[in-house]
Amino acid sequence: MRIVEAGKLALESIWANRLRSFLTLLGVIIGIAAIVATAAVIHGLNRYVAEKLSNLGKGVFVVQRFGIITNRQEFLDAARRNKRLLPADARAIAERVPGAEIVGWEVHATADLERGEHVIRDTDIGGVTPAILEIEPYEVAEGRLLLQHEEDHAAAVAFLGHEVAQRLFPNVDPIGKELRIGGARLTVVGTAAQKGSFLGFSQDNYVKIPFSLHQKLYGTLGSVNISVKAREPARLEETIDEVRAVVRARHHLRPGAPDDFGILTAEGINDLWRNLTQTIFRVALFVVGISLVVGGIVIMNIMLVAVVERTREIGVRKAVGASQRDIVQQFLVEAVLLSCLGGAIGIAIAYAAATLLAANTPLPAEFPPWAPPVAFAVCTAIGVFFGIHPARRAAHLDPIEALRSE
Amino acid sequence: MHAAPAPDEVIRTRGLVRSFAMGSATVHALRGVDLVIRRGEYVAIMGPSGSGKSTLMNLIGCLDTPTAGEYWLEGQPIASLGEAELARIRNREIGFVFQTFNLLPRASALRNVELPLVYAQMPPAERRRRATEALQKVGLGDRLDHRPNELSGGQRQRVSIARALVTNPALLLADEPTGNLDSKTSHEIMLLFEALHREGHTIVVVTHERDIAEHAERVVTIRDGAIASDERQPRPVRP
Repeated sequence: MRIVEAGKLALESIWANRLRSFLTLLGVIIGIAAIVATAAVIHGLNRYVAEKLSNLGKGVFVVQRFGIITNRQEFLDAARRNKRLLPADARAIAERVPGAEIVGWEVHATADLERGEHVIRDTDIGGVTPAILEIEPYEVAEGRLLLQHEEDHAAAVAFLGHEVAQRLFPNVDPIGKELRIGGARLTVVGTAAQKGSFLGFSQDNYVKIPFSLHQKLYGTLGSVNISVKAREPARLEETIDEVRAVVRARHHLRPGAPDDFGILTAEGINDLWRNLTQTIFRVALFVVGISLVVGGIVIMNIMLVAVVERTREIGVRKAVGASQRDIVQQFLVEAVLLSCLGGAIGIAIAYAAATLLAANTPLPAEFPPWAPPVAFAVCTAIGVFFGIHPARRAAHLDPIEALRSE
Repeated sequence: MHAAPAPDEVIRTRGLVRSFAMGSATVHALRGVDLVIRRGEYVAIMGPSGSGKSTLMNLIGCLDTPTAGEYWLEGQPIASLGEAELARIRNREIGFVFQTFNLLPRASALRNVELPLVYAQMPPAERRRRATEALQKVGLGDRLDHRPNELSGGQRQRVSIARALVTNPALLLADEPTGNLDSKTSHEIMLLFEALHREGHTIVVVTHERDIAEHAERVVTIRDGAIASDERQPRPVRP
């Protein structure tokens, strides 16, 4: 028998028992829907993170007291061993690394902002050298960025994130107005364009002030983050190595001793992120794998029932010339189609779920184009694996017994 | 080989034995049957239940293989064939007609008749044409799209005869073809068999009813797993 004939037969028989077929498929439907939806969320997050990181600018990297910390012990070790990074370190990099085009540094504190009755608590106050605003592109909405002479004189000026500007100066042009940070009065010189949120966290809730002013307000004990823009993005790795050598020399590290600082690149963060999401995906795959195995067993069970129900039909088919191979093919095609039907429904549910998630939550779910072919391949494998036993049982029925059955 | 079949022999068996293991005992259903059926013959195989006639029919129909002995169908030795070859022989050389019709309940008359052609790998258009012809031949040209439950018993048996004829087999093998029909319908079916016989078809009818067997030109009686008698009858007198 041709495979198309077997397919038609299988569809008829699935349709004839549609409720039973649907119930049989629940395991596969749920499994495929769950894994594809998970894949959609992770795929969306990966794309989103890669996009956000590419905002960081090509050839930019950051030297920090702490690198990427993944557990508590690492943090404790780093806290004990890693020295603070100082503006002097940044100046040394600027002087001695020819590959570094721009070097800026930034230090963070948290404080409440006030303007009249408008108060914003626990806002990130970044003390930055003007170069930082160039390296990590900050788009100006109104006014201007901070200037070098303001840094030189520790001028009481501020550049506001979009959300801060909106909340402190509703319906008012903030340029030239004053706000209070702790005891200090600062004049707003500019506001930033909106960056939007990242996984639901606002990226517009910050104030940038001159680094020199920050040191006056919060002291000089904080470690600075040094941002470096490489002259040639293609030579990023070499520039990083040169910077590393300078910082190690200033920290008097022996050859072979580990770095007592961390260097973050967009690629590095992206890799870390991908490792993380891959782990999540593997766990999800394992859990869903169990549901797919259960789904497969249910399909096997229902196919065994179908063989018993259709014993007489099998007898007739054999009497008119069906070989064992024909019968195996018929039942195997039915099991595979059944399983793939479950896969199709699961994919449709996952697609709907991903679309709904993306529209109604901060999760940037995106349906991955490779999901349908992979899901169908998996479903075909399930159908073949769990369908072969019932199919062989049907094929090996004795035609005489089968014709006599009722 | 002294028993090599002659060209006009559709069936030749020699010392056909079929035994079944029933627990520790062995039941001998057939104890050595020698039977020759020539092309164009119309033969009834008679016998009471348990005589072994069904076993003989299953062997002749290639649904079963003998414990011992030899069987040639259309000159081909059957006893040594494998499963797939037997399926091919059933498909090409034998048309079955069953007591209970054994039609597929969800399929139309046309699709039921097409079934053997499906396994013969025939393209759909050709299949449809041949199946339609076969149904017209048995007088059901206007019932192609009816399902079995929309047809009377006699019509169902006609569909099953059309299915048996559609591959143009060497042998039409009917097992109690009128067992589930009233006497008037039975008579119509037997007239159809006679018409097919006149066209040259080789027909074997297995039955335990004397008046059905009387339609055949030759009656082979089986008793206790062996041939008890083999008689030619005068041309049946049609009422």
